[in-house]
Amino acid sequence: MKRLTLAVLMLAALSACSEKKQPETAVTEPAETQQAAPAATEAPASAAEAASPAAPESAAAAEAPAAETQQAAPAAAGGPTGRVFVTNERGNSVSVIDPANNTVIATIDVGAQPRGIGKSPDGSEIYVALGEEGKIAVVDPKEMKLVRKFDSGPDPEAFGVHPDGNIYISMEADAKAAVYNPKTGEQIALVDVGLEPEGVAVSPDGSKVIVTSESTNMLHVISVPDHQLVANILVGSRPRAATFSRDGKWAYASAEIGGEVKRVNMTTHEVDKVTSIGEDEAKPKDVLLSNDEKTLYVAGGRANKIFLFDAESMELRSSIPVGNRVWGLALSKDGSRLYTTDGGSDQVSVIDTAKNEVVATIAVGKAPWGVVVDD
Amino acid sequence: MTVSAREEGAVRKKNPMVGTLLSVWLTAWTAWLPAVHAADAEEVEILFVGDQGRSAWEGASQGLIEANMQGKFLGRTFKLTQLPGAGEILKESNPAAVVVAGDAATLRQVAEALPGVPVFNVSLDDDEIRQQCGGSVLHVLPSQAMKRDALSQWKTKNPESDARALAWHSSAKKYSGAQLNDRFTQSFGKPMDDEAWAGWAAVKMLSDTVVRAQSGDPARLLDFLRNDLQFDGQKGADMSYRKNGQLRQPILIVEGEKLVGEAPVVGVAQSIEDLDSLGNVECH
Repeated sequence: MKRLTLAVLMLAALSACSEKKQPETAVTEPAETQQAAPAATEAPASAAEAASPAAPESAAAAEAPAAETQQAAPAAAGGPTGRVFVTNERGNSVSVIDPANNTVIATIDVGAQPRGIGKSPDGSEIYVALGEEGKIAVVDPKEMKLVRKFDSGPDPEAFGVHPDGNIYISMEADAKAAVYNPKTGEQIALVDVGLEPEGVAVSPDGSKVIVTSESTNMLHVISVPDHQLVANILVGSRPRAATFSRDGKWAYASAEIGGEVKRVNMTTHEVDKVTSIGEDEAKPKDVLLSNDEKTLYVAGGRANKIFLFDAESMELRSSIPVGNRVWGLALSKDGSRLYTTDGGSDQVSVIDTAKNEVVATIAVGKAPWGVVVDD
Repeated sequence: MTVSAREEGAVRKKNPMVGTLLSVWLTAWTAWLPAVHAADAEEVEILFVGDQGRSAWEGASQGLIEANMQGKFLGRTFKLTQLPGAGEILKESNPAAVVVAGDAATLRQVAEALPGVPVFNVSLDDDEIRQQCGGSVLHVLPSQAMKRDALSQWKTKNPESDARALAWHSSAKKYSGAQLNDRFTQSFGKPMDDEAWAGWAAVKMLSDTVVRAQSGDPARLLDFLRNDLQFDGQKGADMSYRKNGQLRQPILIVEGEKLVGEAPVVGVAQSIEDLDSLGNVECH
């Protein structure tokens, strides 16, 4: 009887290795959600619409004069620039948009395969995950210059910025979440998660971090500052992104292959409501709450739309057509403008959230992926 | 279900690449096995019927690694038991599912020996064996008809092309295909081919079904697989089974060693999601 049995080692270590006590810090802003994604999908862009010199109505604090160039005087010390920063995965660059007139005012070469992007709690630095380089690039938003890079280990994809300034990075190739202090480049902790970790969301009070694992189909909930896995929530196929409500009681997540969006109770760590988008083409990625938290915006991937859900009932309310393969989302601080990265169209769409319509499209670099607003 | 010392030899002999992570892992597991066995009531056994020299075995082994990665977060363990042929299936055998890499006769014998147990065909693309409604055999590889239709869609737009239609290719990058190819190559030091992909997919979809259905019962698993599956085979589509037991999936179009496209072909089929534009969807 020839029989070969292969079985399985339950790795005891469900959790983290090295830890460091983090000082408790007051919450500054709602959680940033950065997401992740595998190499560029769809065919490169067809029509990247030229930036319409659209209505400069934004209530946002756009202070950059239209003619400003890369040299830009470091505008009145302190205060955010109001600019929109976009990673171009196949352009190896970051496009900087002046939201006052929706034009690209600078393109910063940052390195190979920039995807996840986020800003430091004090707004003084923008971080960019460079997948192919295994580094995090640090950009000065005022100077619009690359100021340094630090090693993150292989294939960083997306990250979330903790209120204490540390960043939580999904390490796609290693099935780990890595915690770094971006000021020093020092690794604080490494946590085992499922295969192909992708989206990262930090709770507004900083007590929890969600990492999605695309190929293990879970939301892993990591406690801070001890960096233990406190829950592993099985969800639909290929979970890609997550975000928290401001009170931290709920999380919202997308499942790309499952074509669904769900609301998760973050007290019990159970899925509360699931809604299938119901369109075959819909491969949801980024999720983001409106400022009043009544609407959940969902980037629809190759459905080429933004889906709007009622954040309480999780019913699909409407959709807004944008460019091809839309993945990334960011809101202006006042919530009046939603920026989307339309990766297959090499453009960013600007949505007026009062009218729920696109008011401008802006040509950026190749395969735009992530977006953050420095306001 | 015990494992004896002589089986350890079999494990070592078949180590595909001494020095790889997998071999370290195999050796470690061999030493640990009895303890794991005795302690864990939630262990799920998957049989593999077929030769260990086939890439389907390596694919299934890769699937097992990934199944246990998921299982460790949920208190489940999976094991893969290899048998050379259907004749070696014991009466008392009670697997959750069987992966078969063999001929049509073997596939039939396995299905007859274990009625109601999901049986994954990971090596045959014959159309004739994909006719039955509601059977226990699930065909992971695309059928010949699916590949024919994929090529014909492709050639509608690319009449000069001398492309091949495949289930998988080692140059697949989109939809995290690159990550799967990297994982497989790291484990076995070779490219992932169709059979390897099918072996991987069979184990992975079974383990995902076990944790979703919260059951190791073969009848429950078969029902879930046939009716509720939403499998991510890392080809960008939501995969499920047709009534005739065929897995719906995109087909890769390869020229030489270069991946040039995928089917359903946009503009010929209604959309890239129109998976039933490929092959036969009927059953009898």
